[in-house]
Amino acid sequence: MNNDFSKPQRQSAAGIVIMAAHTTLSIGRAFIFFIIYAFVKIQSAYLLYVLLGLAVMVLASFLFAYLWYIKFTFFLDKEKQEFIVNKGIFNRDQVIIQLDKIQQVNINQSILQKIIGVYGLKIDTAGAHGEEISIGAIDETSAYNLKAHLLHKKVIAESQQETEIETQSTEETPFLSISSWTLFKVGLTSNYGQSLALLAAFFYTVIYEGRQLLDSFKIDRNAIESTVTGMLTIVTAFILIGVLLAVLLVINMVRTFYKYFELQISLHKDALLLSSGLIAKKNTLVSPAKVQITKYSQNYFQKKLNMLNVSLKQAHFGESKKGHEMQGNTMEIPGCSPAECDELLRMILGKLPEPGKIFIPDWRFLNLPVFFKLILPVVIFLIIALNVPEVKPFIAAAVIYLLAGMVMIYLSYKKHRISVSEDFIVKKSGIWDISHEIITPYKIQAITTFQYPWHKGVDVGHLCLHTAAGQLRFKYGNYTEIKQLVNYWLYQVEHRNENWM
Amino acid sequence: MSTETFTNEVIDINSLPKYEEIELQHPHSDYWKIICINLSVFLSIIGIGLVTLLIFINEISAYSFLIIAVYVALAAILFFLFRVSFKKRGYAIRTHDVIYKSGIIAESTTIVPLNRIQHIELNEGILSRSFQLGSLQLFTAGGQTGHIHISGIPIEKAKNIRDLLLKKLDLTESQPIDPIV
Repeated sequence: MNNDFSKPQRQSAAGIVIMAAHTTLSIGRAFIFFIIYAFVKIQSAYLLYVLLGLAVMVLASFLFAYLWYIKFTFFLDKEKQEFIVNKGIFNRDQVIIQLDKIQQVNINQSILQKIIGVYGLKIDTAGAHGEEISIGAIDETSAYNLKAHLLHKKVIAESQQETEIETQSTEETPFLSISSWTLFKVGLTSNYGQSLALLAAFFYTVIYEGRQLLDSFKIDRNAIESTVTGMLTIVTAFILIGVLLAVLLVINMVRTFYKYFELQISLHKDALLLSSGLIAKKNTLVSPAKVQITKYSQNYFQKKLNMLNVSLKQAHFGESKKGHEMQGNTMEIPGCSPAECDELLRMILGKLPEPGKIFIPDWRFLNLPVFFKLILPVVIFLIIALNVPEVKPFIAAAVIYLLAGMVMIYLSYKKHRISVSEDFIVKKSGIWDISHEIITPYKIQAITTFQYPWHKGVDVGHLCLHTAAGQLRFKYGNYTEIKQLVNYWLYQVEHRNENWM
Repeated sequence: MSTETFTNEVIDINSLPKYEEIELQHPHSDYWKIICINLSVFLSIIGIGLVTLLIFINEISAYSFLIIAVYVALAAILFFLFRVSFKKRGYAIRTHDVIYKSGIIAESTTIVPLNRIQHIELNEGILSRSFQLGSLQLFTAGGQTGHIHISGIPIEKAKNIRDLLLKKLDLTESQPIDPIV
């Protein structure tokens, strides 16, 4: 392989194996229960056919992978500053990416790639959703060479802009690294929601597929179900909840360690280099200028433990007309100490956001959620409860729900605010995890204000700031103030032509 | 940018141009005709469907009066809603941004600064071409919600606006970009 990538070249030949394994795995995953079912159910005479089928599947994957490998070429057009990938087995696809549109280049290594000794390289563009490029197998030196080439142009362009700020700390040593002990604390205190969803999804599949298996084994399902319900006394229910909570914590822990193990952030020229991961080490290069929304959040436990989660949202736009909003690609840095968080903010924003003028929402903020999330469901529940005797004993639950809901809505109202200063807009929100989202006015892409006619008299309205990484909303504010702010931000955005990316 | 240069620029917020007081331009009155034609086509398709149902299924013919009443009410409501929304729409092009106001119940105003426009689209439908109208779409990086779609602009005017905006886009892009704060 040559080093400047100016001629079309294939990926490393090991790519065939990677690609084949990938295809086999995804086919296998789709049919996993079918395969198990086949092995269990089918008479041994037909087992041969099943094995043959599997062999054909693997062979087909290899053939597919080989063709893919042959047709997949990439090169760098120096003159036009474009990176071009040709691919497609039957149809001819050409993906052209302008170098300055490249958001980030990721070099990953999965277990299989680690065994074979190659790297995967992913190019994230600022373009539409489907145009991301992923090169499955490339050797280490080529990977880093290519990465350097792809980001080279940009580094020059941006280094001129940020030299004043960044020169004092260009050493390559990590300025932030998260220890295992911190990760342990992070795992204990965050992301319950995601883990819960994961757990629920897991149980759903287990129960659903388990039933299918039971059917195929011809086991009497009723017998099992009756024993299960028999076991469910109040004591066991409590034990079960305890076990579930423990499982939840363990899953949380595993996820946190898997994703963020040995998380390190170092300055790499003018970009931040994030590396983390337990099994697959993931390196991400982020240029501070491309970060659209900087967010830090903290819940009660984390406050006591003195740590914060920082996340950096980058632009991932693409004018999708089909209606699905692009999720900004977000970089999470959990478990920073306040000092590290400040350091990180300074790195990305240039300076720390100074406290600005604070705008709080009107009390009418409470109306809609109280009505739709509390009063309406409780009334429906009461109507049902009064008519269905089985539900009647649970009426007390409605009171608990009402109280808890009231507290949560009130908290969300109390925390909902924006603070505006000359250089920053900070939005605070949340109920349990209190988050601060920081943007600079020149990251604003468009502004929407709106007002319901019945709020005209009381001068209440809403504000939405569109950025390339999502929206910032401020609801039920003083409309006169909002209009004033909008005029001010428009002035800030329009009177200087600053680059937002 | 240092703080010193900024203090020179400190401005009175109240003296800034106010977006909410701008005189808005409304869609061309012919655009209402287009809306009416579209609605009529839509309603007549539903109407034909209903009539065939009424003729061929005997069981529901007893309710024919009710069905027709609902249909007429629906038609009236649709026309009314579209009329209201047509009346409420308005746009304005300023030196540095584009303003678009719309909304049936809630009045929402979206403002896109010219230096944030990614690209512009000018669409002409078959129907709107016969009325010499067009619609302009301004896309930003703000995604689905951050873009403006103005319908019912006389085609000549739409083209003028497009050229004007494109010229400004070129201008802003060729200008040297300020260093990032």
